[in-house]
Amino acid sequence: MRKNIQAPLLMAGLTLTLALPGLAQETEPTAPSEESSAQESQAPPASESASTATSSQQDATDPQPSDAPAPGDWAAWGRESHATRHSPLDQITADNIENLEVAWSYRTGDMPEGDHAESKYAPETTPIKVDDSLYLCSAMNIMISLDARTGEEQWRYDPQVDAGAIPYSASCRGVTYHEIPNAGDEQQCAARIIEGTLDGRLIAVDADTGELCQDFGDGGMVDLWEGIGEKVPGWYSVTAPPTIVQGIIVTGAQVKDGQAEDAPSGVIRGYDAQTGELAWAWDMGRPDLDGAPPEGETYTRGTPNMWTTAASDEELGYVYLPMGNSSVDYFGGNRSEEENEYSTSLVAIDVNSGEPVWHFQTVHYDVWDYDLGSQPSLVDFPQEDGSTVPALILASKQGDIYVLDRRTGESLFPVEEVEAPRGGVEPDNLSETQPSSSYHTLAFPDLEEKDMWGMTPIDQLWCRIQFRRAEYQGMYTPPTSERRFIQYPGYNGGNDWGSVAVDTERGVLIANYNNIPNYNRLLTREEAEERNLQPIYAGGDGSDSEEDGPAEGAGDPQVGAPYAIDVNAGWRAPITGMPCTAPPYGGIRAIDLASGETLWDKPLGEARKNGPFGIPTYLPLTIGTPNNGGPLITGSGLIFIAAATDDLFRAINIENGEVVWKDTLPAGGQANPMTYEVDGRQYVVIAPGGHHFMETPIGDHVIAYALPEDE
Amino acid sequence: MPTSSRGASGWCLLVFSLILILLGLILMAGGLWLASLGGSWYYLIAGLGLMVSGGLMARDSLTGAWLYFVVLVGTVIWALWEVGLSPWELLPRVFGYIVLGIVVAVLLPTLKRRQAMSGGKAS
Repeated sequence: MRKNIQAPLLMAGLTLTLALPGLAQETEPTAPSEESSAQESQAPPASESASTATSSQQDATDPQPSDAPAPGDWAAWGRESHATRHSPLDQITADNIENLEVAWSYRTGDMPEGDHAESKYAPETTPIKVDDSLYLCSAMNIMISLDARTGEEQWRYDPQVDAGAIPYSASCRGVTYHEIPNAGDEQQCAARIIEGTLDGRLIAVDADTGELCQDFGDGGMVDLWEGIGEKVPGWYSVTAPPTIVQGIIVTGAQVKDGQAEDAPSGVIRGYDAQTGELAWAWDMGRPDLDGAPPEGETYTRGTPNMWTTAASDEELGYVYLPMGNSSVDYFGGNRSEEENEYSTSLVAIDVNSGEPVWHFQTVHYDVWDYDLGSQPSLVDFPQEDGSTVPALILASKQGDIYVLDRRTGESLFPVEEVEAPRGGVEPDNLSETQPSSSYHTLAFPDLEEKDMWGMTPIDQLWCRIQFRRAEYQGMYTPPTSERRFIQYPGYNGGNDWGSVAVDTERGVLIANYNNIPNYNRLLTREEAEERNLQPIYAGGDGSDSEEDGPAEGAGDPQVGAPYAIDVNAGWRAPITGMPCTAPPYGGIRAIDLASGETLWDKPLGEARKNGPFGIPTYLPLTIGTPNNGGPLITGSGLIFIAAATDDLFRAINIENGEVVWKDTLPAGGQANPMTYEVDGRQYVVIAPGGHHFMETPIGDHVIAYALPEDE
Repeated sequence: MPTSSRGASGWCLLVFSLILILLGLILMAGGLWLASLGGSWYYLIAGLGLMVSGGLMARDSLTGAWLYFVVLVGTVIWALWEVGLSPWELLPRVFGYIVLGIVVAVLLPTLKRRQAMSGGKAS
């Protein structure tokens, strides 16, 4: 669940630094179960606990905006349930983009108060747009509606989330729009906005008024802590927009990494979108349990969770869950068989039964925090004979991109099992092989000593010595305790939560990526004690802020495992704060959708905001910085993306990868942009909120760009 | 050390020479460690070159300056061999040497003068 890192650099006599922030594969295709195939055309959820689901029956003639968005809408976090991040809008083009101007801007007012919050803000918010309104959330879960024409606030609902509930980051990537089928216009909450909160609530408010939906849960809220166990604020938090399939809200939660074996469950739950009643629960450790656990019991503790955003296929009734890792990321010896089966897998669940239909693991026995951060994109994948296959594109932190038949989970391209390194503290437990996609990988070749970097020969030499001292056998180097081990790519990817964008008309896949190692070591329990690594339930914030600079994620206690973990994310040298490895630290790549071949590949991000000792260099040189956040593609062939640590928002020509426009943001652009149209005018929106771990300025802005009205 | 009196430029030369010796010692120490770990021998050799170069220049020997340029040229060749024309990767490898090389060039007249004054006894 870590998503970011930072690193630094230098050039031409000047020195600079950058911030570097921070998949798997055996398929176990199961033919779609009978009940699922039998119900493609009939929508109502069939599970018993969803008996009230009669009220949420779908009207087949009236699809949800998220399943069939109007051309001018951006109806879900990834634009639609299929999450292509591709809009048909084409008013803004490479030829007229030089005239692009700020049409309106808005500030949520949600800025950190106090040091604790200051060091943890990373809103990562992307508004959605349906009809004439935008809907978004702030870092601390304030739900807001804006007039799409002017950016004026129409309503807001503040759920009053306490700062103590902030987990790794105060993030709210977005909200979800849902219409109750066959509801009258005057019915309250006929259209509703659903949000999951940092303090573990599902909230439904009226899309028109922002008032709580009284028919939903307890006065508009559902408590996600039910069945999780003792409530420890910040340990179980929703940061991603829920996915709604056939009237069922599906959500997981972020379980703060690395705290303890005995951690909140990674259970995935489905709730009726109208009533908020629990429809089903998928607890991998208790497959027989369909709903809530009996009084006094909890869902299976410490299991892999889903912190990121799912995608869905309304017709199949499947939700596609990018699962993370078990709570203890860097030691696997205590994991159950089920955890090893589903950890870091894409799991397809039939929302009518709440049962897994198939799953595809992108790393076996994950002891590297390579959880799936990227939302899958669903496309009709082109075949040589001109036909298409309903497919799903899945990008991983290792950089592998998989294309799977989304009905069965079978890969459309060969997936090779390659021999993996052995050794470390649990050599017998590690998988002998790891998956590798023949379709495409974003990963660079293994590191060599000469890839070490610095400002001068002296820090470069220091990094070369550290390289030689560390355990490194390429990707999947086994974690070690007696010395450091290099994890490359680091836990920020490859591709992370920003996900990829797919343009099926041009047949192009756009993926941005990080290219940064982590420099880690397993700590013995004695060392963890010396460092006073305290889990979140013991009052600590769960991380060691002493070492390695970054305030977060430097160390996790992993209570219950024989080792804690020390992570130098981005592998930065002490004193200078410069990365030990050479740039680029991030890039963006265009890939031919049908073949997986690279069309172009460019570094992403300028060196202007980075430099040694944390001093900005203002050098307008594209070096390729760490990045966090994804792209969008327009019908006119423009890619919009911020993401990098240079606080720039840019448009790139999809044909050749050239930056055709850029603007300076008031805060870090670690959020996905979106685009919409209202009254015949196309807008492109980004909410630059900054990111504590990317070391970019924190903000509460929402900025909409458009061409001048007289054009 | 030469006994002739030092002007400002003479002191600059001495200080710079001592810096070269220090840099050379750091690179030699780190380079020895790196080589012992199976890594590149470049840093050990370059460090030795810098140390000797600094030592000679401190003794007013022009040979020290020429040795510095040998290290510089050798470093550029090594850097190109290791990373080709990649500008970001050439940066840590050669930029510092070029800066120091400029200083050496600036100090050349002083060095020549002092070598002549000391009658070449240091060389």
